[in-house]
Order: sequence, then structure tokens, then C-alpha cells
Amino acid sequence: MEEHLKPMPIKRKFITPGVLVLIIIAALGMTALLLRYIFGIGFVTNLSNQYPWGIWIGLDVALGVALAAGGFTTAALGHILHKDKYHAIVRPALLTAALGYTFVAVSVMTDLGRWYYIWHPLIMWNGNSALFEVGICVMIYLTVLYIEFLPIVTERFIGRVNLPGFLSAFNKSIDKLLRFLDRILDKTMFVFIIAGVVLSCLHQSSLGTLMIISGQKMHPLWQTPVLPLLFLLSAISVGFPMVIFESIISSRSFKLKPETDILKGLADIIGPLLAIYLAFKIGDMVIRKSFVYLMEINTVSVLFTIELVVGIIVPLRMFFSRTMTKSIPGLFIASSLVILGVLLNRLNNFVVAYTPPYATGPYIPSVGEILVTLGFVALEVLIYRAAVMIFPVISQPKPAESVSKYSVKGV
Amino acid sequence: MPKQSRRDFFKTTAALSAVTAGVTSTKIKAESKDYIPDKAMGVLIDTTACIGCRRCEWACKVAHDMPTASLDTYNDRTVFNEMRRPDHTALTIVNEYPGKELDQFPIDVKFQCMHCNSPACVSACIVKAFHKHPNGTVTWDGDKCIGCRYCMVACPFQIPAFEFDKAIEPDIKKCDFCFERTKVGKLPACVEICPNEVLTYGKREELIDIAHKRIELYPDKYIDHVFGEFEVGGTSWMYLSSKEMPKLGLPDLPRATAPGVSESIQHGLFAYFVPPLALYAILGGVMWINKNRKNSDTEE
Amino acid sequence: MKKNLLIFTLVLFSSAFIFGQNKKAAVDHSQVKGLTCKTCHSCDIPTKENPCLINCPRDLMVTIYQKPKDAPAEIIINKVKDNKDLYTPVKFTHLAHAEMAEMSGGCISCHHYNPPGDVIPCSNCHEPKRKREDITKPDLKGAYHRLCNDCHRAWSGKNDCNACHTLNAQYAGGKKQPIISKDKKRIHPEIKTPEIIKYETPKTNKGKMVNFAHTQHINTFGLECQSCHKNDACIKCHDQRDKSNAKPATFTQKHKNCLACHDTNNNSKCNMCHTNDAKDVRFNHKARTGFDLSKFHSKLSCVRCHTTKGKFTGLSSKCSSCHGAWDLTNFNHAKTGLKFDETHAEFECESCHKDAVYNKPDCSDCHDDKTYPKDKPGKLVR
Repeated sequence: MEEHLKPMPIKRKFITPGVLVLIIIAALGMTALLLRYIFGIGFVTNLSNQYPWGIWIGLDVALGVALAAGGFTTAALGHILHKDKYHAIVRPALLTAALGYTFVAVSVMTDLGRWYYIWHPLIMWNGNSALFEVGICVMIYLTVLYIEFLPIVTERFIGRVNLPGFLSAFNKSIDKLLRFLDRILDKTMFVFIIAGVVLSCLHQSSLGTLMIISGQKMHPLWQTPVLPLLFLLSAISVGFPMVIFESIISSRSFKLKPETDILKGLADIIGPLLAIYLAFKIGDMVIRKSFVYLMEINTVSVLFTIELVVGIIVPLRMFFSRTMTKSIPGLFIASSLVILGVLLNRLNNFVVAYTPPYATGPYIPSVGEILVTLGFVALEVLIYRAAVMIFPVISQPKPAESVSKYSVKGV
Repeated sequence: MPKQSRRDFFKTTAALSAVTAGVTSTKIKAESKDYIPDKAMGVLIDTTACIGCRRCEWACKVAHDMPTASLDTYNDRTVFNEMRRPDHTALTIVNEYPGKELDQFPIDVKFQCMHCNSPACVSACIVKAFHKHPNGTVTWDGDKCIGCRYCMVACPFQIPAFEFDKAIEPDIKKCDFCFERTKVGKLPACVEICPNEVLTYGKREELIDIAHKRIELYPDKYIDHVFGEFEVGGTSWMYLSSKEMPKLGLPDLPRATAPGVSESIQHGLFAYFVPPLALYAILGGVMWINKNRKNSDTEE
Repeated sequence: MKKNLLIFTLVLFSSAFIFGQNKKAAVDHSQVKGLTCKTCHSCDIPTKENPCLINCPRDLMVTIYQKPKDAPAEIIINKVKDNKDLYTPVKFTHLAHAEMAEMSGGCISCHHYNPPGDVIPCSNCHEPKRKREDITKPDLKGAYHRLCNDCHRAWSGKNDCNACHTLNAQYAGGKKQPIISKDKKRIHPEIKTPEIIKYETPKTNKGKMVNFAHTQHINTFGLECQSCHKNDACIKCHDQRDKSNAKPATFTQKHKNCLACHDTNNNSKCNMCHTNDAKDVRFNHKARTGFDLSKFHSKLSCVRCHTTKGKFTGLSSKCSSCHGAWDLTNFNHAKTGLKFDETHAEFECESCHKDAVYNKPDCSDCHDDKTYPKDKPGKLVR
């Protein structure tokens, strides 16, 4: 089947009513972002000495990293396990990961009080710090992601470098450079692919280690020494649902036929992954006897129950049901639930569970914080849309006339 | 329903962590290598002697060149109507709590950085901007800090404060145990000014002895607990009081050090880079095998 | 020559006297009652180099008691003076404070370590320097302030430095401030014992007030001030703390002082004390029981007669119920203040005292021409 499919730039109109809405959201978000950089973090956010971290870390960074897990899970599936069937989804997942991590980096920078020192961890090391580990891994992984994406760029531009005006003098040399890169990368790509998976495993888990040091400030329902494992397992199990979710949305948006066969194959893998995650989560709860906190009804216990039931158990049942995985709406709903579960999990871990000893009230994100978060999401979607229109990312039925590797060579 | 206290949980947690991190329990020790008993200085705060004159607050601001209102304004006791916390404008503050019984005086408690023996902030800081000195002081280095506020997340006493209103060069502010003063043989500013000598500055080990002797001498006056002797692995600043510590804003904390669990996990995952490299090798092997199988499949 | 001899004798005597005093000043362990080694020393074998004296307060060691007037009336406290001080020294009205201390613990309330001999200054033990070797006891500044603040915070709940100090010139805009000086003759006014103390008890339905017969209790039961007021500090009268937010006192706390003699837990007996009538002084032994305690029984404690704890009723007012039968052999009438003459000494008690409580008889019962007190049956002895 895959020989009929070939990644190609999508030719559609960029602006649609939906895109306009996204542009407005992005513009609002960027306004709030601008205010943050001009007047400081306190001006835009509800963060305080009690609640030093808010949704910018909990959602923009932690959830951003988790949802970009599709990049390494599909890479592992497609390249390391060599399931060629799934090659069609590797590129969209890679693009999502690259974009996701870029925005994670931007979000981290936004949240840093001294954002211009973001390079400090490169030379000032603290091996004891989980955050240092996350920071270094994310930096390297981001580089790796861009390197992995390079072949898509070379594929798009080799033989088509056409710079405007006086820059056209460089056309030839840039073309040569691209060809050189393409050759090198072709031989060395496996190094980066494995590195990407290893780095992902490391920082996905270290992201869980982050909150362990907060000790009693974190509610016992979530505070556990196996947090790193739970974070890694949840990241792995949310990777494919994210790919499915995205694939269904983009196929609808670009009016393409959804790759039902591939998605169903993915869905069959998600079930067992979710089951492992659930087993560890329940096991941890039983061993630490933290279920006693579920006996009383309050915000914390309700949110934990939703996370567990709606985010894991319900979709788990759905992914094990043949009728569900066969239908596109079923897949979409089940995947959305997994994503929602992980979203809630990260929000719970970083925001809900955190109660400082001298809290005078709860932390509720400000309008500014929410705008920036939504703005980043909107911007990410817009860039994704633009990227798939420029680069050969999404696989489409191959036009009969193109035969060579570089389909647009010499045009 | 069996109700377990939150503290019990963290005990279980600490015990579990040794297993999950795959390291020996010796990693979760009470003291970090930064703590040198012979050199560690400390302050014993006898809250029963404090009268809430807040001269320590004033002296602290003067010693740190921070803006302060005139000395007279510190006589205003209405500030005690609300519970305050040290922040970027005041590195130490005094709060007032009701006395043990109706006819007893309110209890005034000074708060500042505790200067833990195994500081969570030092362990957490992404760029090692915090440093634990041999004399017990924990200081912050503005040349390194990137403003990530992970120290604030980590601190069990909610001490580091951030200048949220600054867009450029926001600082983390916390008590520095008057490091610049003690270096030249002076006392910390608050210790020096305290009229009642509520704050006793001395060797930490000696202060612990003194504290226990005082409790022994006045068993009716003091609760038999030196806050900070064992809490989170011990702190340089310690408290004596006549009322249960949690009712005076001194949280009920476990004896295990704050960074113990996370450090053992970190070191377990990165023991000489073996686990990451092993994972790399395994994945490489799997990839190689699969590729070969694929190739032989196509050849057939 | 005679004059010289007198002077010589005087000198001899006085030096002997002074020597005697000084001898007394050395620690003579045998002179102090109830003294064991552990009263003063923490180790088993104290040496001169390491006397290992126990921590303060060592009020058990105090053996010398002095009168307020023996001490200086005023002391300027400037032993911890430093040129960077915020505040000027304090003029301490020692006499006034010593007088006040007389009402509770005396000298000992401040001079908690006072070996035999003159009262020693604080600085003998408390070092003037804050940065010091021995940190087991507070430095001089801390020691002074702790003594002052313990009571001074009671007046108003405030511990204003300005109450005793003025700012030094460099902190007061360069203006030199005078040292706060109070009248050195000022002493605490004499405390008068109130006749009746009215306690408002609006919250109970048992009566809106308790009219406590203070003087009557003192006289009836022969009480000293300390019997009840032994734990009262200055704050007893001088408490000005805001009580609006305070927790209401518990039942036990409210009845603490009465509880020792009165059964306050018995619900049926509330109106023993609680009343709605402002003039109703609830308990007057004579009025309530008909038995006058004031003449011969005022020194007795309640339990001498009311032997069952909490039970005060059902006691007979007959003398014989406690004293047994009186007759000429076992009753010395002189104790009542009247010693009989020979004639009257012969009579049986009942000849004159017709009732069971031996009320005073009238002369006219036997005599037509005699009246008391003009004619007495004997001699008044008191």
C-alpha cells in the first residue's frame, strides 16, 4: 500500500476561517507575551513566592514535552523496530516533535526570570539537579530533532534553491551544501535516531523527577519516588494517540483520506502501553496506600479520579474494542481521552498537587498566562500548517509522473 | 477508614525510593558532604524570649542595603494581624501567634532561611547558583542564576523569594546569614541587635546541647523538641518554643533530607552514564537486527 | 588616754565585726539549710578550677534577703554602652522596682543568683559582649532586657523601646535626646484590700453577680495575701492586652480561686455565691447559719469543723457537738475574757447559761439589783 503514498507538500489555500481564528488567538497570546518581556513575569501572571511555577511550566513545558513524545515513539517504531508500514506517520510526528520542542524551549525562556541566561546550564553544570538533566537533554534533543528534520529540507530544496536578488549568487553553493548534508545524513542518521529515543527516555522521566524534591509540598496522591517511571510510561502511551489525533485532524483539515490502516495498527499498540501505565499507577497507589485520599471528596481526589478513569481506564477499554478501533470517530475520541488524561496528569503534578506550607490561597492562572499558552498552541498549529505546505511531510497518493528520489529535481 | 498521616506517607516514600531508584539506601543519608560539623555555625531562636520588637527586621534591611522605613515605624504592632513571609523586600520577618493559654503572652516567631545542612535549593539549582559554605551559610550567586525558580519549588520552608515585578535582572532573595559580616568576624545583623538575645549565635553542635539543657532545666516552659535539629536532615537555624511547633508556623517535616530521594534517583539513572549508554547500545542492536532481517526478507 | 582607749576599743570591735561579716560571706556550706552538693554543682567533684555550677536560676542558693531601701534608688544602666548603639542608656528606678517586687518574689525575682553576701551585679555572670565564648547564658544586654520585658510587656502588651530609651543623636536627626528620667521617689502605691469584690456574671442564669466578701474571707479564715495571690504577677492588675479576640475562659478557669473550698461543680449550689441582688453578700457565716465565727472560731480552717469535703450543712451549732460536754473541771472561763470571782466560780455552767450555745446570761436572772457591765461576776482579763 505504501508504494502509492509519498510525502509531498500540500497545495491548499493557507487562510481559512479556522486559521483566522487561530491567528487572532496567536496575536492575543503574543501581546501578553510582549507584556511579560517588558514589565516582568509578575505583571502578566498570577505566580507568587507561594506558587513559583504555574501553567507555563505545567502545561507549556511538561505537557508540551509529553505530547511531543509521538516523535520518539514513532521513530522507535518506524526506524528501530523497522515497521516500514508506519513510515508515513514518522514525518508528521517528527514535525510535531520538532515544533513542540521548539515551543517548549520558547516557553521555558518565557518562564525564566533571566531568559537571556538560558545558555548558562551549558557551562554551569549541576549533576544533582533534575532540572539540569531535563534542560540539557531537551537542548540536545531539540538539536537532534532538527538534524532529523534536515533530510526533509534537503529533499525539498536540492535543485530548487532560488534565492531572490543578489543572494542568487549563493544559489549554487547552497545547493552543494545541501547535497553534501544529504549524503552525510543518509549515512549517519541512525546515530541521531537512536540518540533521539535515548534522550527522550531520559528527559521524559527526569521531568517526573522534577517535582520529587518538593516533598511534602506535593499531595501524596501524586508524590511518589516512581514519578519518573510514571512520566516515561505516560509519555510513551500518549505518543501514538497524539499521532492519531493529529493525523485525523489534519486529514480532515486538508480533505485527505485518513490513513485508517496505519492508525488502526497504532491503536493496537496503544492498548498494552496504556495497560502498563495503568498497572504502575495503580500499583504505586496500592503500595503507598495513598488511595485513602480518594475516600474523601475534594478537588484533589476528584481530579485524580478523572485523570485515572477518563484519562486511562475508559480509553483503555476503547482501544481494546475492535468496533472502536475500526471507526475513525472511535479512534479520535479514545485518543483525545488519553491526551486529556495526560494533560490533566501534568497539570495535577505541577499545579494542583502543589501546596506550599504557607499558602494563603490557591493558584489560579491569570488571563495573561492562559492567553500566552493558547497563543503558543495556536502559533504551533499555524506553523505546522505552513510547514506541511512547504515541506514534504504528509504522505499523499503519489502522482504517476515522478519517479526519482528528488521528485522536483531540475524544476 | 484508616487515616494515614501525610508524614507517614513520605516515610514510605523515602523507603520506597531506595528500591525504585535501584540504589543502596546509603545514598539517602542525613547529611550532605557540604555539611562540616566542626565548622558549621548556627543560631538558636528561643521563641519564649522574643517580644516581637522587630528590630531584627530593621537591622537586616540596613545590613543588606535594602530600603527601610524609619525605626519608629517598627513599633507598630498591627503588622502582626496578618501572617507575613520573608520576601524580596524583607529577608526576615517576625510573626505573632496566640499564646499557649488565654492568660499567656502571644508568641513571636522570627522566620528566615533555615540554612539546611542538606539544602534542597543547592541540590535543585540548575546552574549551581546556590552554595553551601563550610560555616553552614547557603548563599545565592546572581551571576549564575537564570531565574527558573526551581529553588522555590524545592525549598521545604518556602523561603527563596523572587522579584516577580522585575523584567530585567530579577533576583532570588533570601537570608544569607550575613555571610559578608561573619566572614570578617562580625555577628549576623539580627543576632547583634536583638535586645533579648532571643537569637544565640554559635557552633551548631554546641547550640543543640544548650537547647537540650534548657529544655531539661525548664520542662514546663519548653516543648521537648528542638526544631531544626533533625528536620530535613538538620538546619543551621533552630527553634525552641513553648507551644507545638506546627502551631507556630514551623512545619512538621520528616528527618530525611529534602533532596535525598531526587538525588538518589538522579544518580541512579546516571550512574557513570552507564544506563543511558546501555539503552543506546540495546536500541542500536535492535535496530541492526531488524534492518538485517528486513534486508534478508527483501532479498528472498 | 581614756579617749584613745575608747577609739582603740571601737576600732577593735568594728574590725572584729567586719571580719565576722566577711567570714560569713565566704561560702559556708554547713550554714545553709537543706543544701546538698547538687543544689549548686552539676558534677560530683567540683574543683576550684571547674566548679561546674548549675545553670541559672539558682534561687535555691539565695540565703540573704535585703530590704528595698538597702539598695540604691536609681541606677544608670550603661555597662553595655557602644558608640553604635541605637539608644541612650536607661535610668533604672531600682527602689520603685524593688518595692514592686516585694509584692511577689522579692529581690529574687531579678537577682536569681545571689550567694551569701552582698547582692552581686548582673555583669558578674553575664558577659557584656554578645560575641563570646560561653553562650550558655544570655549576654548582659539580653539578661537586662529579659528581666525588664517579662513585666513590661504585661502593662500594655507593647514593648516599645521608647518606653525606657531615647534614640541616640545619630539616629534622631543629630539632636541629642535626654535620658528618660522618672521621679526617683516614685514607688508603687499601697495596695488596699477591698471590702467586697463584685464579679459580673451576666452569662449564667444563676445570678448576674457574685459579691465576694473579700475582707470577710480574710478575717474569717485568717488569710494572708499570698495564700491566694501567690502566683499573681504585675499583670494581675496591669493587664491592658486586647481581650476582644481572646478565647472565653473555661468554667474551671473562672472558678479557679473558689474551687479550693467551694464545691463549684455542684449545680444545685450555684446560688451559694451567685445572686441578682447587688447588696447580697452571699455568705456570712453568722447570718446564714446562726453560728458566729468571729469571736472564738475565726482562726480555724473550714475543715476543722466541716470534715467531709464539699459538705457544709447538717452541723449542729451546739458547743457540745464539737467540744464534748463542758463542766467546771474542763472549762477555763478565763479564756472567754472573764475570770470569775470566788462566788461565781462555784456554779455549774448551766446555772447561768440556760441554752445549749452558752449565750451570755442576764444578771437579772438571779439578781434584782445587778446589771452588766456595771457589776461583773468577776474580773475582765483581756
